[in-house]
Amino acid sequence: MFPVVSVTLFLPLLGALVLVFLPGLSARAAHLVGLVAAGLTLVASGVVWARGALGGGFSQVEEVPWIPSLGVAYRVGVDGISLPLVLLTTVLFFVALVFSLEITERARSYVALFLLLETASIGVFVALDAIVFYVFFEVTLVGMYFIIADWGYEGRQRAALTFFIYTLLGSLPLLLAILGLYLASQPNTFDMREYIADPPLTGLAAMLALVAMLVTFFVKTPVFPVHTWLPLAHTEAPTAGSVILAGVLLKMGTYGLVRFALQMTPDAFRAAAPYVAILAVFSALYGAFVALAQTDLKRLVAYTSVNHMGYVVLGVAVAAATTDASVAALALDGAVLQMVSHGVVTGVLFLLVGALQDRAHTREMGAFGGLLRAAPVLGWGFILAAFASLGLPALAHFPAEFQIFLGTLRVYPAGVLVVLGIVVTAGLYLRAIVTVFLGELPERWKGTKDLDARELLSIGPLLALTVLIGVAPFLVLGVVHETTRAMGLL
Amino acid sequence: MNGMQDMPQGGGGMQMAQDLALLAPEIAVLLTAVGALVFEMLRLPKVSLPFTVIGLLVAAGLTVPLLGTETTVFSETFRVDALSEWAKLVLLPATVLCVVLSYPEVKDTDREGTVYVLFSMTALGALVLAGAGDVMFLVIGVLLSSVGSFPLVAYPRDDRATEAGMKYFVFGSVALAVMIFGITYWFGATGSTLISDLPRLSGAPLAAVFGLVAALVGLGYKASLVPFHFWAPDAYDGGPVSVAAFLSVVPKTGAIFAIAQIARDLPAGASGWPLAVAALAVLSMTYGNLAALVQENVVRLLAYSAIAQSGYFLLGVVAVGESGLAVSSLVVFAAAYAAMNIGAFAVVALAGRDLRDFAGLGRSRPAAGAAMVVFLISLVGIPPLGGFVGKFLLFGAAIDAGFAWLAIVGILNSVVSLAVYLRIVVSMYGRAKEAPVSPRPVAAVWVTALVFTVGVGLAAQVLLGRVA
Repeated sequence: MFPVVSVTLFLPLLGALVLVFLPGLSARAAHLVGLVAAGLTLVASGVVWARGALGGGFSQVEEVPWIPSLGVAYRVGVDGISLPLVLLTTVLFFVALVFSLEITERARSYVALFLLLETASIGVFVALDAIVFYVFFEVTLVGMYFIIADWGYEGRQRAALTFFIYTLLGSLPLLLAILGLYLASQPNTFDMREYIADPPLTGLAAMLALVAMLVTFFVKTPVFPVHTWLPLAHTEAPTAGSVILAGVLLKMGTYGLVRFALQMTPDAFRAAAPYVAILAVFSALYGAFVALAQTDLKRLVAYTSVNHMGYVVLGVAVAAATTDASVAALALDGAVLQMVSHGVVTGVLFLLVGALQDRAHTREMGAFGGLLRAAPVLGWGFILAAFASLGLPALAHFPAEFQIFLGTLRVYPAGVLVVLGIVVTAGLYLRAIVTVFLGELPERWKGTKDLDARELLSIGPLLALTVLIGVAPFLVLGVVHETTRAMGLL
Repeated sequence: MNGMQDMPQGGGGMQMAQDLALLAPEIAVLLTAVGALVFEMLRLPKVSLPFTVIGLLVAAGLTVPLLGTETTVFSETFRVDALSEWAKLVLLPATVLCVVLSYPEVKDTDREGTVYVLFSMTALGALVLAGAGDVMFLVIGVLLSSVGSFPLVAYPRDDRATEAGMKYFVFGSVALAVMIFGITYWFGATGSTLISDLPRLSGAPLAAVFGLVAALVGLGYKASLVPFHFWAPDAYDGGPVSVAAFLSVVPKTGAIFAIAQIARDLPAGASGWPLAVAALAVLSMTYGNLAALVQENVVRLLAYSAIAQSGYFLLGVVAVGESGLAVSSLVVFAAAYAAMNIGAFAVVALAGRDLRDFAGLGRSRPAAGAAMVVFLISLVGIPPLGGFVGKFLLFGAAIDAGFAWLAIVGILNSVVSLAVYLRIVVSMYGRAKEAPVSPRPVAAVWVTALVFTVGVGLAAQVLLGRVA
């Protein structure tokens, strides 16, 4: 069978290599190469999606032996959990590159870095070998570091370094956990499917491995109290970088939580689930309340990420805790859908805030007012995305959060306290909409231009997806559910 | 020597001829050195260079038919086994790369040909170490590789080089003296200079410890292990870059293999020996990486990194006799290390010694810059490059031998080392400067090193199959 997964994985890298080895390219040509590479990758991932995950297990597996005697190999494939995330990744990268068309300063390096980052991101989701996973996981750091450090805003150097050190140190424990899994598996292998089919660690070793994994993935997600790198990185990153950071990189944390912690150390996770759930609830509420206190629009969106990702962690914890397979599948379905929804909706929000900043050169809410009159498309786009983000029915977050809360209610009735977070986000978004878009239009913003074609082309598709997922969540859930059911979580 | 009495009786001449045949590669290296010296004396340094290159490659070629042989020659005093065969196959081509690398640095100076001779002689010393079956060979090996490399370091004859050479010389002489002094206790206790007679030491613990410590001082100095490393950064930085590349690979690998040869024959659990080696490994890895973090001079940075890499190397030594992976891990890592380290030094030869010289190299010389990135991330140990496979095998061997904690220290150190090497990478992709000139021999060296760095990684299974 034609190795579509590998093609999807390496197409962006190919584009990046083309850019590296053609130093004379103009900014225009570099963007063209980027769009073609990311576009083809999007098509390829569409083919992967169409082929689907048969029976919910790992499908479309491609394996090349490397050092057979040590159990290391190149192994990639998809299941119902990684498949939507791969598609989300390719969509967001394409959109981010469209939005970046205005970048002229060292465009060749910029596009090349994005393409490298795309390969690494797809790699994290399709890797079925722990070593391959770890390498891609680390490469994403390097790519994002340079994007923030070279094209970010004023405090970019410090933000990039904080991000890098935080997440680099954060990923160390995962390496130790992988080592433990490798040593405990018989025969020794790095095949993640083996770890999942027959979790090699038990007892204290499993608990230690779980704690190690939780540290790594909590930093990435991020979960309170290891979230402090996030607002800094987001505010300083260029707009497209923020989209990828929030839309794709954060998902690696929760994806790892499912793929590694839940699937490879299930018993330990069950024992730890109440604590994880408490942390998740606290983190979600904390994110919402801190977002409420922000006056900078971008920081506001960044903190709502902490809130939304908290729901995902809660869903995974519920799935780990329950002994009812249908409840587990319900919560996990919600968690996976929430990852996709958050990627799409937060993507729109960051793009719109970026568009606003490009016009006004400020992100302070208090500086604006009545913008809906000057830039109606931008305004209505923001209002729609904000409504989606606060969980309005028929928009992307609703079906996901609904399932998570339903699962939580069954397992931890007290955890439903987290719904309070929705009230707070509703409040903060309404306040943002009122101060920025409603009321009198001040003189200085009279000439504000509405979205141009480039911005529409990047924001429009994501808005459409926001509505589509909200109205027809089964399009995603069908694939996800087949896998969560087949996982046979007990 | 005691071993003489065990020599099979009869057919002494035949035995001699056989032994000499088994030593053909070493003899070829010696003849190469002598031949190159003759050309130098005839004032034909331009002939001396190709003669050395071809001679060393022929010597490596002569090793190929010996692969798989496990025997000893000259009454067990020298070993023809996987370690010594692969030492030749790895170190001789590595020496060739260093010789080529040195050409732009030393051409048209008087004494040009001498440099090539010294390279060959030092390499011979390393080979003697790698196959040592007798403590006398340990001494000769350390001596030969030291005496050859002192003048290499001092070659430029400026203040810095002379000082570095002097430091190296004094340090080396003392280390060697300590080593000779200590291992006489072995001879006293066992009545034999053969390493394979070391198990007899079990009755004389004090002599055993004395000798071991002394051997570790002498070999640890050659391998630049902490705390016998003080000479290394100065010596590397004092001499030509090609000499630094050479010293960081060839004598070092020889000395590590020599420690492995001793480890093979020690009585099980002898005097806490594996623990002592493990302690040296931890010290070298940790100190090397931490010290490298703060260097502003890339040669010194790579010198400290080479100290750290010696620490990783020792993980394989710790596992000798305990794990079936030990020898293959040493060999694969040696091959990867030789390629990536010489490659990195070749790019230094191109760019300059200062970290600031690397600013913008990734833009002004994209190909060399990309190669440098490959060498550096291979030094960190990132798949699928040779450095990853080598380290992975070393860690695996250590875990297999019951030293899981040591492997974890190694992994943590690898992560620290990422910061060390990323400093160079970050600088390379900063603001562009003028492109440095790239002499053709230097380019040839880093391209070859690149091929092997990637090749050892991808074809690890092939290499493993040949070694085992």
